Amino acid sequence: MNETASGLDKTIEVVLTLGLAGSALLLTLGLTLGQPHLLQAGILLLMLTPVARVVVVTVGLFHEGDKLFGFVSLGILLVLITSVIVAVRL
Amino acid sequence: MLEPSAPVLILTGAATGLVGSLLGLGGGVFLVPLLTLGLGMPIRTAIAASLISVIATASASATINLGRGLVNMRLGLSLEVATSIGGLAGGVAAALLTRQQLFLTFGATLAVMGVIMAARSRKRNVIPEPDADTGRLGGRLVEGDRTYTYRVKRLPVGIFASLVAGAISGLLGVGGGIIKVPALSSFCGIPIRVAAATSTFMIGVTAAASAFIYFSRGDVVLPLTAAIALGALPGSLAGTQLSERVEARSLKILMAVVLLIVGTRMGLEGL
Repeated sequence: MNETASGLDKTIEVVLTLGLAGSALLLTLGLTLGQPHLLQAGILLLMLTPVARVVVVTVGLFHEGDKLFGFVSLGILLVLITSVIVAVRL
Repeated sequence: MLEPSAPVLILTGAATGLVGSLLGLGGGVFLVPLLTLGLGMPIRTAIAASLISVIATASASATINLGRGLVNMRLGLSLEVATSIGGLAGGVAAALLTRQQLFLTFGATLAVMGVIMAARSRKRNVIPEPDADTGRLGGRLVEGDRTYTYRVKRLPVGIFASLVAGAISGLLGVGGGIIKVPALSSFCGIPIRVAAATSTFMIGVTAAASAFIYFSRGDVVLPLTAAIALGALPGSLAGTQLSERVEARSLKILMAVVLLIVGTRMGLEGL
């Protein structure tokens, strides 16, 4: 099953690593300098990392021609977007 | 509430990240009890901090597990739809429950999963033939120089468990691995390592679905959450590295014991 997914796996790894590294940097700076804005940015980046992962998987699956799972992944993205909208309106 | 110092919080995050990822979880199941019972924090602050930390732990573990070929991505995606809907619903519903109800739900959930895990710990899920048919969602698992095949059974049970896991995650800040891993491994025929890796792959999304809601409500206490998440990152990387050396059956028994102890302790707090 996973034979075709190895390239996509690599891209996901890169996206997750970048998100985590960026967030770790912002959080460290925020704690050291006592800057709440940096902490807020770091936590937001952390929360957006899984969302970015879903975007990459969706695009990757459509690119590989796997429409069924591409649509499944798109569905997950829609749930996440709904969550952000609900959160903003609360 | 006594404000714990940053080093204490970083260490707490690191310890729960390590143990959590060792067991293939996000670690929230240990973090919430530690923050509430151990450090005396309000349960909503603990849940919000835990959700953020779970995202860090799960994403860090996923980077390693993807490289190991342990993540069954198509299975993960199939279940992720259910789990993210559950996460969103749980996040919204959390506001309606009292502190007591949150503690009792937490305790009962853990105890039930502990019993299921213990009862089914001897079951083997793999077929020792490297080229047996995997079915649409199954896969292969390489352990040492042997290749095993597994097939996904009772997918609706897995989808239902993921929906419940998402809701519990949103309500209790735990990511839901504690429900998905036992369910996938005990009922759906998935080897525990694949179940854990695939569940971890999903957990970041599950936790994010409810984290936005906690964040906008102002439940995320910034310096506290930042310190815990910072600790969770190296902790979970170390735990995921170590997890390869632990035997599958020991993993199941360790998880069952931890669930029963933490579940009872949290449940008592709600009485």
